[in-house]
Amino acid sequence: MSEMDAYLSVFIEESREHLQELNDALLNLERNPEDIESINEIFRALHTLKGMAGTMGFERLTKLCHRMEAFLDILRKGEIKVTPEIVDRIFYGVDFISQLIESIASSGSEGEIDVEDVVKTFEDLSKEETTGESIAEEEQQAEAETPNEEEPGEEVAVLRPTPEVLDVAKKATDQGFNVFYVKVELAADTALKFPRMYMVFKSIENNGGEIIQTEPDVQAIEEEKFDRTVELIVVTKQNKESLQESISNISEIERVVVKDLKDLSLSEKTAKKHEKSKKAKTDTETKERAPTLSRTVRVDIEKLDTLMNLMGELVIARSRIVETLKRYKVKEVDESLAQLSRTTLDLQNVVMKIRMIPVAFVFNRFPRMVRDLSKELGKRVNLIISGQETELDRTVVDQIGEPLVHLIRNAIDHGIETPEERIARGKPAEGRLELTARQEGNSVIIEVVDDGRGFDRNAIQRKAIERGLLDEQTASMMNDDEIFQFVFHPGFSTKEDATEISGRGVGMDVVKTTIESLNGRVAIHSEPGKGTRVSVILPLTLAIIQVLLVRVAGNIYAFPIVSIDSVMKISPQDIQEIQDREVVVSRGEIIPVHFLRRIFKFQEDGNREAVNVVVVKTREGKRGFVVDDLIGQEDIVIKSLGKLLSNIPYFGGGAILGDGSIALIVDVARLAS
Amino acid sequence: MSLKVLIVDDAAFMRMLLKDIITKAGYEVVGEASNGVEAVQKYKELKPDVVTMDITMPEMDGIQAIKEIKKIDPDAKVIVCSAMGQQAMVVEAIQAGAKDFIVKPFQHSRVVEALAKVAKG
Repeated sequence: MSEMDAYLSVFIEESREHLQELNDALLNLERNPEDIESINEIFRALHTLKGMAGTMGFERLTKLCHRMEAFLDILRKGEIKVTPEIVDRIFYGVDFISQLIESIASSGSEGEIDVEDVVKTFEDLSKEETTGESIAEEEQQAEAETPNEEEPGEEVAVLRPTPEVLDVAKKATDQGFNVFYVKVELAADTALKFPRMYMVFKSIENNGGEIIQTEPDVQAIEEEKFDRTVELIVVTKQNKESLQESISNISEIERVVVKDLKDLSLSEKTAKKHEKSKKAKTDTETKERAPTLSRTVRVDIEKLDTLMNLMGELVIARSRIVETLKRYKVKEVDESLAQLSRTTLDLQNVVMKIRMIPVAFVFNRFPRMVRDLSKELGKRVNLIISGQETELDRTVVDQIGEPLVHLIRNAIDHGIETPEERIARGKPAEGRLELTARQEGNSVIIEVVDDGRGFDRNAIQRKAIERGLLDEQTASMMNDDEIFQFVFHPGFSTKEDATEISGRGVGMDVVKTTIESLNGRVAIHSEPGKGTRVSVILPLTLAIIQVLLVRVAGNIYAFPIVSIDSVMKISPQDIQEIQDREVVVSRGEIIPVHFLRRIFKFQEDGNREAVNVVVVKTREGKRGFVVDDLIGQEDIVIKSLGKLLSNIPYFGGGAILGDGSIALIVDVARLAS
Repeated sequence: MSLKVLIVDDAAFMRMLLKDIITKAGYEVVGEASNGVEAVQKYKELKPDVVTMDITMPEMDGIQAIKEIKKIDPDAKVIVCSAMGQQAMVVEAIQAGAKDFIVKPFQHSRVVEALAKVAKG
């Protein structure tokens, strides 16, 4: 198995893709039960999965896919009609496949997952509804999988020529043909016995021969109802050696015995009907799909990270060259420098794009989730997805799944009303849930919009006041959207609160934390009775961010722009002390301030006329940081500080600036606490 | 002269696996295709000595692809890759002109044997 390990990651990744196809096609089938193409697609995905799983030696997965495929084949032939119950069963099976694949992904094995029951479900389904033909074939196949170790090929002929055959043989001999008794023994592990025998027949016929009798009969051979040996009587112009050789040359043929028919000891004459080789009829699959081929190469994300890093270095090296050469004012290099700048910029864009994947990777799983959830909650939901081709950094896409699940779950669970309630309120019975993505400048905006009951401002406000997060007076000055922000507060995220405040709050703080860790933010807009819009605003990429560079005691530090609220210049006298904390009052707001010099243990600089304060937004509210100078805004490539420095608090990474100096990126959340 | 092989399978995983087996056996994989349409194109383009052809594929299945390839080159040597339970399809593929077939899960020895036999004949 060890050499298979190399394939495991490809196996898992591709299996997941097939799972996605399965889910998509199933959803389609649920909407259009007559759609044969969806059935074909499900069949194909199961079939491919089966082949892959078999190769990797995952027996349960192979078995389950095999059974489901057999069942789908019955559906495809139209022997059973697609009903909602059947679609449910297939979904159920797909869930097992998904579990198996996830178990393989996490532990490399199929774990403890028991598939016997679900396999049986499909067996029963297949049996129930058909006359057993396809099942017989399948059973046959299951037997074929365990090699049969009997009968080492004794020269005892089972075949008894019928009188008609003997008659034909005699006439043929008179006309100069050879008549042979041929015994073909297949290799012990031959997987598809009938096609193999078919090749033997074809080889004989291609050489001008004819098979006039077989043992067992042709029907049994087609149905693979034989162990390993088949006996034939062949009329041909080929000589013994040539016949022997041409059959031996076929793959998986263990042994071929060719004898003159007259040498066969005929002790008994059983009349058996001569049957002509029947060609197997097959149902050709019709396959039509939009011819959209994407030519792709799979690359480890780590390699892309390295590429991005190197790219950053290159950009920096370029800026340094440019700066150095500027000093010497060499005219000749100006043009080539401009060219270099353009090319590196293009290159940077390309590298960034390589890391981007469409949000469809996350969006794709929602139709299934919405279907299951609305079914479970007895609601009717029409999910409309748009902008799934919008691209985001791979690492961001990997992480927004969970927050979006929360948002969608909340929208269906608490936002959208039951059909009865909706009708009573004069809305269509079917709720509308929109999931959209679009790019705006350097951000991608993902929105979850429902037309449900909306947020109850009063309930949220009351709760916030109860919890001491807000006082009546401030509350009266806040607009609805500001009040709604309180649902992100950790205190709100308990289940009992959720029902009280028109439902929201389940895991909302988790949503906010995750999005903020990606340098993004969340906004809520809601109208009572009309619905809610939750917007998640994410940066296009994590590798390059916009920062405000500041100087403290001669060192440069960087504040991520997304976390900055404002910047002010104040005189040191403006800093007041309230309850042992230093604060400034700005536009009626009390903002605690911290001196970076003090936090970083630099010598304090007491005789300044004015100080700069960078005000940042944190979960606990606004915080001010006193710095010496503001340098300006810049795009930087984030670099990790490496293992040695990773346990130093306050810093989220470092960056090399154009002049080669190093800036540390402050971790605002940790600085504030 | 090393044998030139074109691998056709819709699963990248399968192509990777086959490529490995074939390369280790000392043959040269000159191209890969992920469906029948692509297979026919690549066949014209690369003129491989042998094609390994999966049956169940989107766009154009393996059987159709064999027929198309045979139209271009009646002597084309195609080995069908099938899974368990596809007896009828395999037979149809042989009727369409496939020289041999191999069954998933692949056994290295079987793949190599099939290639060697097809190369010889």
